Amino acid sequence: MIGTIVLVAALAFSLMSMVMYYLSFRGYKNAINYARIAYHGMAMLVIVASTLLWYALLTHQYEYKYVFSYSNNSLKTGFLLASFWGGQEGSFMLWLLLTSIIGIFLQSYASKRGDLEQRVMTVFTLATTFLLIMVSPWFKNPFEFIWTSPMFIELKSINPKYFNLSFIQSFLFTDQGSGNSFVQVNSDLRNLLANSGITLNQFIVDGRGLNPQLLNFWMQIHPPILFTGFSMATVPFSFAIAALMKNDYKDWVRQAFPWLLAGMGILGLGIMLGGYWAYEMLGWGGYWAWDPVENSSLIPWIVGVAGIHTLLVQRKTQVKGSIGKFVKTNLILCILTYVLVLYSTFLTRSGVLGDASVHSFVDPGMIVYLFLFFFIGTFILIGAGSIIYRWKYLSDPTQSEEGLISRELALFTASIVLIAAATIVIVGTSAPLFGHSVDTFFYNEMNLPIAIIIGLLNGLSLIIKWRDTGKKDVIKKSLPLLGVSVLISVLIILFGGISQLMIILLTFSTTFALVVNAEIAYKIIRGNKKMLGAYVAHIGISLFILGVIGSAVFTQEKDIDLVKNQSQSAFGYEMTFTDIYPIENNTKYEFNIDVKKGNTEYKVKPVMYISDFNNSLMRVPAILTLPTKDIYFSPLGYDDGTSSEVHGKQISVLIGNEFEFGNAKIKYNEFIKPDISQMMSGGDITMGTKLTVSYDGKDYNITPMIKRESNKFVYTPAEIKEANLKIEVQKIDPQSQKANFVVSKINGETQPTQPKEVLTLTASIKPFISLVWIGVVVMVFGFFISVARRLPESFIKSS
Amino acid sequence: MKNKYIFGGFIIVVFLGIMIYLFTQSNIQYKDDFTQVMNTTKTVKATGSWVKTKSYHIDKANKTFSFYLMDDKGNEMKVIYDGTMPNNFETATSVVVTGTYTGDYFHAKDILTKCPSKYENQQVQTSGL
Repeated sequence: MIGTIVLVAALAFSLMSMVMYYLSFRGYKNAINYARIAYHGMAMLVIVASTLLWYALLTHQYEYKYVFSYSNNSLKTGFLLASFWGGQEGSFMLWLLLTSIIGIFLQSYASKRGDLEQRVMTVFTLATTFLLIMVSPWFKNPFEFIWTSPMFIELKSINPKYFNLSFIQSFLFTDQGSGNSFVQVNSDLRNLLANSGITLNQFIVDGRGLNPQLLNFWMQIHPPILFTGFSMATVPFSFAIAALMKNDYKDWVRQAFPWLLAGMGILGLGIMLGGYWAYEMLGWGGYWAWDPVENSSLIPWIVGVAGIHTLLVQRKTQVKGSIGKFVKTNLILCILTYVLVLYSTFLTRSGVLGDASVHSFVDPGMIVYLFLFFFIGTFILIGAGSIIYRWKYLSDPTQSEEGLISRELALFTASIVLIAAATIVIVGTSAPLFGHSVDTFFYNEMNLPIAIIIGLLNGLSLIIKWRDTGKKDVIKKSLPLLGVSVLISVLIILFGGISQLMIILLTFSTTFALVVNAEIAYKIIRGNKKMLGAYVAHIGISLFILGVIGSAVFTQEKDIDLVKNQSQSAFGYEMTFTDIYPIENNTKYEFNIDVKKGNTEYKVKPVMYISDFNNSLMRVPAILTLPTKDIYFSPLGYDDGTSSEVHGKQISVLIGNEFEFGNAKIKYNEFIKPDISQMMSGGDITMGTKLTVSYDGKDYNITPMIKRESNKFVYTPAEIKEANLKIEVQKIDPQSQKANFVVSKINGETQPTQPKEVLTLTASIKPFISLVWIGVVVMVFGFFISVARRLPESFIKSS
Repeated sequence: MKNKYIFGGFIIVVFLGIMIYLFTQSNIQYKDDFTQVMNTTKTVKATGSWVKTKSYHIDKANKTFSFYLMDDKGNEMKVIYDGTMPNNFETATSVVVTGTYTGDYFHAKDILTKCPSKYENQQVQTSGL
């Protein structure tokens, strides 16, 4: 309750701050003090609300729907803290929290730079206002109580000492399909409990917990970093709109530059960590699947990076008080980066991609859908509207045309190519909106030529100079670098045995970019290290692409059946499955595989378990990281040798009817009713069916049974050895007179006498995959060197 | 500013062209009507629910998993998937298979299981038990 009030108060403060900042921009001098107080008040309230949510999670207050849905008692503190962003409400909350904190820094930054603060913060507080509406009680409020909408809660989550309360019976339900019993928690039950002096925190003693796929170390790190990147994308947007408000397009470029660099650096890191998480956890062996969730964070990143390059041109061409080149492009790209962050949120949270992704999207309901639509629409309108309004002021007549061989034109071309890449990803990701879908080869085929062009442009743009460069000069400078690049590429191509033309071209263009950047970096490393940023970032992205080539093109994959203690060889390694043993209180099984090459021996330990959360088999891969490659072991299945293949049939039959299985005819004769007196006293209930099986001219009478012990069902199947038949009754419905049976062959009969334990897994070799991670980390490091260089430049003497 | 527009325009036209071409090539449509699925040789994404009453089969030797899928209108279709029974399959509310209909069965290259997100939308009824 307090949490909700705090959030509503924060919303009021945010609105007030926005209005006051706007008034201050319109000339009401006193308003700025109120605006600042209101902003800091809002930020404090958001921090308080977040702390309250963390506190509720840590102290297991299951009266909150969010706490119940995304955490449970068995989570360790780290994961409890991370369950903050385990669901939709919390991830909006995280986004809001980070945006509010970034706003504190932005306010301080802007207040030191002329009249920037009023304009920038007017726009920024509009963004916080929208986020606060999102978590308000009308939309996705993380502090919603569990009873506000009726919810079915499994008996195991309920404190058993309240089972004997008289009114509980009318809230008890049993699901026929699974046989599980639930308590329906709604406002009636809450009132009845309150009358008996019981709080919901006493009544509900455990939560549902986190999805097992989220129970990974990176869950604690990846979402906050990604959302920091998303939040920081608000800042260049605010700067761009602020420039349009003042109708002055000179200073904002320098002021927004460090923010855009830092934001894209952090977003890039966040995206990479997501990829690493997928690689380590999901077991399909890759780090990028062109899944909508991944794509939707990549799109704003590509556009933001394109913006970095054109902002640089504008800054460089601002001579003698002119506003520089590419004014419109820069405004549009900075606006677009944030709009695309919002679009990505819309795609992934509105439920529109329901069928298209492995990430399960909950349909949040029409009202949230419309609000998200309104949110993104508002920001598009503001951006597009103000650019159209100011259109005639947005070009600089004093600027001459870019030379054909100039760094300006090369960088502009590079940005256009990047935007082409982003467009491809947007089109593919948005296709499900129109009932279509694209295959992953769409993305791969399209982005391959783009990556080649980008590598070439990257190298070339650094060889040619600003303004115009003579052709001879370019050729003279580039020849030795081209020679070195060709030499290295030929070595890679021959050593790796690359035969596809496009991959050869990509290898060359990437090597070229790497060589050019490395040469420049080498020259300046003893000089001003702050100048290194761009080159380090480029070296990083080149290493990344080489890693992608290595791991994507040269991956070898093999399905292997490992019989216990029998060694098998694959990819030149001897692999032996030696042991299986339970871990973590018998909840999971770990397999030990000895991997041997020559005299070196490694041990890898993939894990499999049945998750309580969704009642399904989870497979956790094991990765053996060697200097030049990873060996990836993804378990598929384990056969303990006692059962052969699963082959069964589930069937629903009306009493008196027959069905067939193989050569046998089975007739459902009679329902064995449970003992009424036992039912009344709440004891175990036993019921069953009488069947006649006709097989090979003989009739067999059998009676498969079900017994309910407290809340568990025990099935007693009937077997007919002669017919190799096993029949289990799963459900009997007295009303419809139907019963459900599972008919299968008796296991074990066709088994060899010596049971074999077999672990089936997919093993794959992924050469140089570590370059993928190293490349991104180097790139991000480069971004931050640039931030350090561009930050002092953002102070502009008042003009 | 001419060079800028020539370069930019050229790149945009080329990539739009390639993109539209590839899009039509790799375009996969969602179908929730199996009579349509069975009448096309194109790769489609068929959406339906698992027919639990019909037999399923996990073939460990050939690494295939076969089962029956039913659409909203009650049309059934046999599906053979290259792989084993995926995580969450038993609890899935709907299944999306990507592949082609071969005349006898739907050959699925990819399978996606949609799970009841918690129990929010699950129908819970009182039982005879």
